[in-house]
Amino acid sequence: MSETADPPVLHARALRKEYGKGEGLVRAVDGVDLDIRAGETVAIMGPSGCGKSTLLHLLGGLDRPSGGEVLLNGRRIDNLSEKALARMRRTDVSYVFQSFHLMEELTAVENVELSALLAGCSPRTARRRAEELLDQLGLAGRSKFLPSALSGGQRQRVAVARALSNEPLVVLADEPTGNLDSAATLDVLQLFDELHEYGQTLVIVTHDARIAATADRMFSMRDGVLIDETRLTGGTNGKLGALVGLED
Amino acid sequence: MGRILLVVRLALRDLRQRRTEAALLMIAILAATTTLTLGLVLREAASDPYESTRAATNGPDVVAHVARPTDLALLEELATASGVTAHSGPYPVIAGRLQAAGRTSDVQVEGRDATIAAVDQPEVTQGSWVSGGQVVLEAAFADALDVNVGDPVTLGGKSFTVAGVAVTAAMPPHPAASCIVTTGCVNGAIPQGRNLPARLLHNPGLVWLTQAEVRSLALTQGPMSYVTNLKLADPGDTQAFVAANSGALIMQTWQDILAEATDLAKDSQILLLIGAWLLGLLAIASLSVLVGGRMADQTRRVGLLKAVGGTPGLVAAVLLAEYLLVALIAAAAGLVIGALTAPLLTESSAGLVGSAGTPSLTWSTIGLVTAVALGVAVVATAVPAVRGARSSTVSALANAARPPRRTGWLIAVSTRLPVPLLLTLRLTARQPRRVVLGVVSIGVTVSGIYVLLALNTFLGDQPGTGAYSEAQVIVLRHVLGVWMGVLLALAAVNAIVITWATVLDNRHSSALTRALGATPGEMSTALAVAQVLPAFAGAVLGLPGGFALFAAINAITGGDGDRAVLPSLWQLLTLVVGTVFAVAVLTTVPACIGGRRPVTETLQAEPA
Amino acid sequence: MRQEVVLAMLAKEPSHGYQLRARLREALGPLGDAMNAGHIYVTLTRLEKAGLVAVEVPADGADRSDRKAYGLTPDGQQRVAEWIAEVSWPKPDLAEFHLKLVAAASAGLADPLTVVDTQRRELLRRLRDAQRAAMAESARSNAALLLEGIVLRLQADLRWLEACEQNWTHRRSGS
Ligand SMILES: Nc1ncnc2c1ncn2[C@@H]1O[C@H](COP(=O)(O)OP(=O)(O)OP(=O)(O)O)[C@@H](O)[C@H]1O
Ligand SMILES: [Mg+2]
Repeated sequence: MSETADPPVLHARALRKEYGKGEGLVRAVDGVDLDIRAGETVAIMGPSGCGKSTLLHLLGGLDRPSGGEVLLNGRRIDNLSEKALARMRRTDVSYVFQSFHLMEELTAVENVELSALLAGCSPRTARRRAEELLDQLGLAGRSKFLPSALSGGQRQRVAVARALSNEPLVVLADEPTGNLDSAATLDVLQLFDELHEYGQTLVIVTHDARIAATADRMFSMRDGVLIDETRLTGGTNGKLGALVGLED
Repeated sequence: MGRILLVVRLALRDLRQRRTEAALLMIAILAATTTLTLGLVLREAASDPYESTRAATNGPDVVAHVARPTDLALLEELATASGVTAHSGPYPVIAGRLQAAGRTSDVQVEGRDATIAAVDQPEVTQGSWVSGGQVVLEAAFADALDVNVGDPVTLGGKSFTVAGVAVTAAMPPHPAASCIVTTGCVNGAIPQGRNLPARLLHNPGLVWLTQAEVRSLALTQGPMSYVTNLKLADPGDTQAFVAANSGALIMQTWQDILAEATDLAKDSQILLLIGAWLLGLLAIASLSVLVGGRMADQTRRVGLLKAVGGTPGLVAAVLLAEYLLVALIAAAAGLVIGALTAPLLTESSAGLVGSAGTPSLTWSTIGLVTAVALGVAVVATAVPAVRGARSSTVSALANAARPPRRTGWLIAVSTRLPVPLLLTLRLTARQPRRVVLGVVSIGVTVSGIYVLLALNTFLGDQPGTGAYSEAQVIVLRHVLGVWMGVLLALAAVNAIVITWATVLDNRHSSALTRALGATPGEMSTALAVAQVLPAFAGAVLGLPGGFALFAAINAITGGDGDRAVLPSLWQLLTLVVGTVFAVAVLTTVPACIGGRRPVTETLQAEPA
Repeated sequence: MRQEVVLAMLAKEPSHGYQLRARLREALGPLGDAMNAGHIYVTLTRLEKAGLVAVEVPADGADRSDRKAYGLTPDGQQRVAEWIAEVSWPKPDLAEFHLKLVAAASAGLADPLTVVDTQRRELLRRLRDAQRAAMAESARSNAALLLEGIVLRLQADLRWLEACEQNWTHRRSGS
């Protein structure tokens, strides 16, 4: 398959992260190997506290591993300086956080353009791109709203727009539907699906099987280890009827 | 009982959890209480120095002296005159010259007994009282000459050791001493080109020897005069006594001495009081930053406590317990530090103000300082408790730690700037009130320094013009220097405290900004510049502020402000640049720590 | 699919076989694609034999099966009414899977956790397909509603698998 020939966008080998010492030692991530190819959507599921968030932080260079290596587009990032990591986050990796983490005093469009401004875009370009993104995410009329005036689903879409504003290689999403109801979850689901169609590389940590099911591959994580990989593509192949009792 | 335990436990747990905030609050209250203690202690020390000296030394109501030994009988007669209740003397006095470590000064040498006199027993502030071969110096004079206990001095060709330093109420402190020698004296600066009669004493100091030694010195040094100290039945009516008994006698009443003595003390007292006011303003600035920040923080906590079933009463009790604990510790520490440092300040001016002994804590000072600390605690409790009790639990919970403000135009302007400045402006836009406090704090400091500079140049011109002698100028400059030190120290603490509070309040948005790609360097720069810009504004505003303050001081003291030389342009420039530079240096460390905090911990711990 | 479903689709008016099929497809959306045309005709024939439907031969008298219109007999109508009033519900056959795990563990046939994992993979694939199909539908269509039902059931099944996994992990570490 041509898929395997591509070099992975994100590659982790024997990745480890430990907190504390002695008795209190916690192996939050304990030897993870992972390859993520361009355009792929990968989901990571697992019980609370198994190390999903920690793994995501390591993959995006938001935290430093205790051991192992992470390569982004073939370049090692686990030993970069804080400054280089910050530069990398401007253009190559972006996050969608569980609790949105929007700046409360900035309007939707100001939140979205912030990362572009940090990356040194001209104010006009940054604003135009932010407006476009909000438009695409169905928030055109809400761009001047403060986050406090937006619903949970709308806030999450603003957060996604912010993550996309610098056209990152990889988007890392931590529980993107963590505190949304099922209608808002569907919105986000649709959004991720569109991103997937568009060819965006996505890593999603989630508790929600529905979100995980939109992925190409899904990993189960337990106690800091990826225990199981499921390729979800090429599944039932049109035998949906069997699911409702129309076929045997 | 169980309830009290619960309240204390909750309060302690909260303090432990927010150690940095608690420590900062403690420092701010500590600075305020220390300053207040200092101010109060010094005010008491300075307010009535002559009275306290008079009480401590059993000072005379009238001092009488005769210029010729033949008139000695008159003095003895006077001691038994009607209305006199006690007396000491007559004591012999001669004029002389004292040499100490290369310095020479005219002196009036009074012969005293080693035993304690009934009237005017000078209060020894250092060392011990006279004995054979030993001399005691009047405190202000010893200061001016820079002579200490144990130093060797020469007097009338004979060598003595300095036994001690003492204050007296029978004569205004050096260099305003009244003249009790036959040869006569002149005080103050001598205008250029005028020659004084050779025997006239110039700015004489007062020293004490034993009577025997004075008499033996008199053999070589010239004529003796005599002085007697009297206590009257009615100290209020000295005028009548003087009128009834004068003649060949020269008499000075305690009211005359008081007028002379306090004239000198007043200037340094004004300096002390103005310094205390400036320090008070600074302390208020840092307190409002911290307490304000904590109050907003607490509103959310009130919501939490209510949500788990705490009654408004319990919630208020927990908050109050917390603040009381911090405030009491800070008040106690402030009182101790203030009391310990006050002598450092007054030591130099002790001789000048003629005060006996070191200033000490009075109950009223302790009460006032504690009351202020507790007042801060109560206000800091009442506002969030009432706000929290009134608001619904839900809205109190939803309330972000310190709801950031939105200053739209600043945010819009910031987009056009380089990243560090962009971040700076946004920090500023979030907390405009804090910026104002930063400006005020630096403005007050710079105003203070402006006044000190103006006074310093003013003093520098004095020895030539006559209002102050060189020794006084040195003493006053020392007082100014110490105040400057305290002012700068408090301003420095303020700068650090405000920066640190900013770091703490913005840790979430800083972490988020860094997750979006700001480098630690950019974040630290932004945090530091956010302090430096207000500092610059404060420094610039402090210059007219200082001018106004100086004018106000002149108005209050009735001083000749017109003659005062204001600080030169280059001094002002240095002041502004120096202030900005100092603030930059001080804020670097907290800003660097703030800019480098681990991103993930903050983001996970505190949902926006 | 039960005979009564076909019967009920005829309750509105007598229809040709192809009309019946179109109606079913509309209600089922993409799931209707999987429906076997032959299956419907077999069912109709059976219903005719049972006297629940009657064939109404068209006027031209031609006897081509695809031109035949089917209508309900009174018996048929009664049967439909009974069916509508019924409260039967498909019973999920969880016991089978549960026993599979027990048997696998006791006889050492397989690791129950592996069995759970394999099963989960299968369910996730189904979920993904159902999900994709649902997202392709317009929100208020009949098919979208049906697919939502599938998604929700699969989610419930996946949760039960999670419980199975935790339970068997405990048993293993306990023993
Ligand atoms: N800063 C830290 N210090 C100590 N231990 C930590 C720290 N951060 C995480 N841990 C521990 O690491 C483990 C993994 O944490 P992590 O946040 O990655 O879990 P998670 O899978 O994301 O959980 P959840 O689904 O609840 O978000 C947990 O046991 C947690 O207690
Ligand atoms: Mg997590």
